Amino acid sequence: MNIANVKQKSLKQRKIKDNFMVGLLYLSTLIVITPLIIIISYVIYNGINALNWDFFVHELGSPTRAMQGRPTGLVHTILGTAVVDTLALLIALPVGVGSGILLSEYPDNKLNPALRIINDTLNGMPAILKGLLAFALIVKPMGTFSGLAGGVALAFVMIPIIARATESALMNIPWSIREAGLAIGLPRWRVIMSTVIPAAKTGLVTGFLIAFARAVGEAAPLMFTSFGNNYLPKHWTGMIFGPVDTLPQRLYSLAISPYKEWHAMGWAAGIILLVFVITLFIFARVLTAEKKYES
Amino acid sequence: MKKSVLKSIQITVIMAIIVFVAGCNGTQESESGERTERQQRVDLMGAGASFPAPLMTAMADEYRTLTNNRVTINYQSIGSGGGIRQFGEQTIMFGMTEAFLSDEIMKDVEANTKGKAFNMPITLADVVATYNIPGVDKGLVLDSSVLVDIYLGKITNWNNSRIANLNPNKNLPSLPITVVHRSDGSGSTNIWTSYFTRVSDEWKNKVGMGTSVNWPLGVGGNGNEGVAGIVINTPGAIGYNSLAYALINDMSFASIINSSGNIITPSFDATTEAANIDLPEDTRILFTNTPAPNGYPIAGFAWMLIHENLHMNNAISTKNEAIELVEFIIWSITDGQNLSEGLGYARLPEAAIDRSIDMIKQINWKGEMIGRDLLRKNNLL
Repeated sequence: MNIANVKQKSLKQRKIKDNFMVGLLYLSTLIVITPLIIIISYVIYNGINALNWDFFVHELGSPTRAMQGRPTGLVHTILGTAVVDTLALLIALPVGVGSGILLSEYPDNKLNPALRIINDTLNGMPAILKGLLAFALIVKPMGTFSGLAGGVALAFVMIPIIARATESALMNIPWSIREAGLAIGLPRWRVIMSTVIPAAKTGLVTGFLIAFARAVGEAAPLMFTSFGNNYLPKHWTGMIFGPVDTLPQRLYSLAISPYKEWHAMGWAAGIILLVFVITLFIFARVLTAEKKYES
Repeated sequence: MKKSVLKSIQITVIMAIIVFVAGCNGTQESESGERTERQQRVDLMGAGASFPAPLMTAMADEYRTLTNNRVTINYQSIGSGGGIRQFGEQTIMFGMTEAFLSDEIMKDVEANTKGKAFNMPITLADVVATYNIPGVDKGLVLDSSVLVDIYLGKITNWNNSRIANLNPNKNLPSLPITVVHRSDGSGSTNIWTSYFTRVSDEWKNKVGMGTSVNWPLGVGGNGNEGVAGIVINTPGAIGYNSLAYALINDMSFASIINSSGNIITPSFDATTEAANIDLPEDTRILFTNTPAPNGYPIAGFAWMLIHENLHMNNAISTKNEAIELVEFIIWSITDGQNLSEGLGYARLPEAAIDRSIDMIKQINWKGEMIGRDLLRKNNLL
């Protein structure tokens, strides 16, 4: 009787404790999510009115266009962002994947400790310094700011993330798969290319998307590399070899301008950037979810 | 399953590229119709001071229309310091600054390009004392000594008798003064402190002038908008902004008693008047505390920076670009000035335009005097 009573009481207490802790978890989740929701809804609230057809088909030009109600938009910025970020991905992919493979598939390589340190340093380095490096490497010799320089600067942002993602994606593949390949006499590079990488594909693509999404939001490395432009270049190659506009940087310059109309356009640019990044992350999320389902 | 996902990614990427390329071709085609003009399109590029940026970009828009989209001028506002730096690095075709080039930089450029660096006035910068005093929306009058003493911390309340003496008809509240200044390096600060240095020996010895100085007191705001934000939100605050900025944002600003003893309400005409003085040949002059009797005393030039030997600038690759650039500069100091008032800028005085024409005369491409030829073509010589 007594014992049963005690038992019952402790069970009740445990349940209360349990519920309390779960409640705390919900609360902290809410605390984390609330600012995000507030930010997103605030951006949408402020920017939605500036999002119209003109926004997607016209060039920015001067602030007088916006003040006098003439059509103005960010078509050159949206296209420029696509060009610069794609360039960055093309540059970062081989380097990042290569070093990731070295780290995971050749764990005994003498270069690895140094490579890890370099990778971590590059990852922690302020983005503006990466821009400075691209300025010295590309802008100075070419004598002009260019989308290419912006791509290189953003590639420096992507490389460490891609390397890290590649390494961990490949590490997740059981060693027995590699042994199976080696057992039938395949050379090591063939084992990596034909068995390990295909098996790790989802993980790799997720990593690329995350690296891409990180770089898409960077403004600092672009300031003195892709530099900005209020117009489309005379020829589309001008986006690679001439100064070009990008969303995060344009957002910044619109935001610090003294014009109300430009502030609204800045918010609208924020919406585009948010939608772009959220889509990428959801895409990455869907891919990882699928991977779990399969294993 | 995995394959289908990857395939869909591939397809999306390819689609995106196709759409993008198609889009680019589309713009090209639509523009090729307009390319009935004599020459190919030219993209020019400049960067620098943020203060003249609205005027420059509006000029760029207007000039583009005038030339049927043939000439596009991309001007990015990166600050006066950035403009001077990139001009020296030869990554831009022209720079723009609110502080003229120092002798040292002039020498550097001369060593690098075997020709002069020209500082050409393109517009005027006027800095006004913006304030927030409840009940005094307009017409506060200040003189140089009161202004300096506020910024030195000697006058700390708006009901101070020296302010009251200058404003006999105003009901000044007992309200502590909050001094606001720029926290970033700025051409406005340069003009503001240059005025203080000229009117007060104490300021000259204690603080001095420059694009950023060691302020004896006050709160810092980043950029024109930072200072304006603090002034608008703090009753009792005084700060400084460009006239155009104060007008756009509907801020109260003070009239200043100039060196001739006249009360000058900031206006574009008063600013232009301030520069109507005897200018040196290279126009590198600060005319704060101007001797001009009707001139507003806290004003200065904003200069365009350009090389004498255009072919020595890495950023300019063809003679055609150089010619179009000089043609644009000539337009910007003549017809382009018509855009000034509408945008909140003062017009260049005749004296400054004459000096600029003297400089343009010397601009050349590999010894060919393209500046002189274009001036003749425009009937300015």
